[in-house]
Amino acid sequence: MTLAIETRDLNYQPGKGFQIANLNMSVPSGSFYGFLGPNGAGKTTTIRLLLGLLKPKSGMITVLGHSMPRDHVVVMSKTGYVPERPHVYPTLTVEEAIRLHSAFHARWDANWARELKQQFNLMDDRKVGSLSKGETGKLMMLLALAQQPELLVLDEPTDGLDPVVRRDVLEALLAYVSQHHATILISSHLVHELERLCDWIAVMDRGSLVAEMPMQQFKDGIKRLSVINPPAASHDAPFSVLTRRTDVLAGEQWLVRGWSAEMQDYFAPRGATLQEVIDLDLEDGFVELLRSFRSDAMAGGVK
Amino acid sequence: MNERPSQWRALLETQWKWTRGLSLIGVLLGFALPLLSLRTAAGMESLTSFISMMGSWGVAYAIAAGALGLATGVLVWGFDHRLRHVYALALPIERWRYVLFRYGAGVVSLIFPILAVLIGAEIASHSALVPKELHAYTIALTLRFGFAVLVAYSLFFAISAATARTAGYILGAIGVLIVAQVLFQAANTHVDVLSNAIRLVITTPGLLAVFGGRWTLIDV
Repeated sequence: MTLAIETRDLNYQPGKGFQIANLNMSVPSGSFYGFLGPNGAGKTTTIRLLLGLLKPKSGMITVLGHSMPRDHVVVMSKTGYVPERPHVYPTLTVEEAIRLHSAFHARWDANWARELKQQFNLMDDRKVGSLSKGETGKLMMLLALAQQPELLVLDEPTDGLDPVVRRDVLEALLAYVSQHHATILISSHLVHELERLCDWIAVMDRGSLVAEMPMQQFKDGIKRLSVINPPAASHDAPFSVLTRRTDVLAGEQWLVRGWSAEMQDYFAPRGATLQEVIDLDLEDGFVELLRSFRSDAMAGGVK
Repeated sequence: MNERPSQWRALLETQWKWTRGLSLIGVLLGFALPLLSLRTAAGMESLTSFISMMGSWGVAYAIAAGALGLATGVLVWGFDHRLRHVYALALPIERWRYVLFRYGAGVVSLIFPILAVLIGAEIASHSALVPKELHAYTIALTLRFGFAVLVAYSLFFAISAATARTAGYILGAIGVLIVAQVLFQAANTHVDVLSNAIRLVITTPGLLAVFGGRWTLIDV
């Protein structure tokens, strides 16, 4: 598996308090990589480190085979970036913003930029500063796509957009991916959006990567088990028990990770009965994963 | 407007939108100053008072050059600062080249006010108001004005381009000088740190020496 983005032992600390600590991240080439995390988890900071906008304290970053931030010119010539907040000069008109951006990208596709402009209903003479949030989002997506990047990094690209605009933006994105087989890294806290789009998922919280795996594995691996007469201890289980909650019907609800069907044999020798295996959607899995990560972190802190 | 412009041209066009208003003010001011100074001096009764009046207008040239350089130096980084430099940093261009282009585009916008001083000075010096015994120094005045504008622009471009921390160091250093001066005065010593520091900067070979000295269009 070749990697579009790889970080090893990446550390960054902007001041006291928040830090990115020993981040090891692997984004496979050609993947649609969802970067999930609550607000303030460190997603935007990580993205800025990946793109050379911030300088790491230590560690290694490789993007499209190049070392960052050293090779940022080569990397950014192949990377489309849609930041969290509008970054285009507000005094320029739409046409001027497109013209400025095109000057820096050798693979700029002017015809496609025109098509996208029509598709997104963006008027040439409108000032960027006077565009609505949705129109600004569309313009930033246009700029990122028309440069024909090998890698697209999208930081909360649909945050705050209405459903119609969100659909327009995501359709343009999917059309691009299907034609160019680019790698997409998309950060969001909108779990359902990522569930539909992504084939890889990473979860970040408090500056650490909590999980990184193929989406299917993530969804398959996290289950809620309904257990009757559960054993007192479960540390010898072949799966990870994230939480245990007493059920009203004399049993327990276990939230587990790393589950597969053959593991049901674990219960009978311990006098327990596995009554039901419930599939969780990504949001449930995400929430439970964060909950268990935070309780582990707190337990670690107490020690 | 559909073909891809060069990076330099694209940045120049963008920056021109921000600085053209200031450039226009500079042009009007640069053109008017020589004419106004001569007009005021022409009413003087003696040659000595004529020369003295022309010389007193020198301060106006220095202030105009300093203000124009300062405003342009700050303005060229204004929008990058406001957008936290995200757009600029995400462009596939070496950082030094980007800074050079921004600097160069600022210099281009300053050329027009400098030319306006030259044109205004030429028109003034060819008018009948100049006493026959005196000489006009149009080129010298324009060069001095241009040099002063570029020095002020370069200084404030560099300060403005730097991080908030660097700006803090510069302000901190000025603050230390002021506090030292206050302490020396409180201690009744005759040490004048502030005046010495200012003299060091504005007299030759100080950084801002071009702002000192004589700025006059008409002289002996």
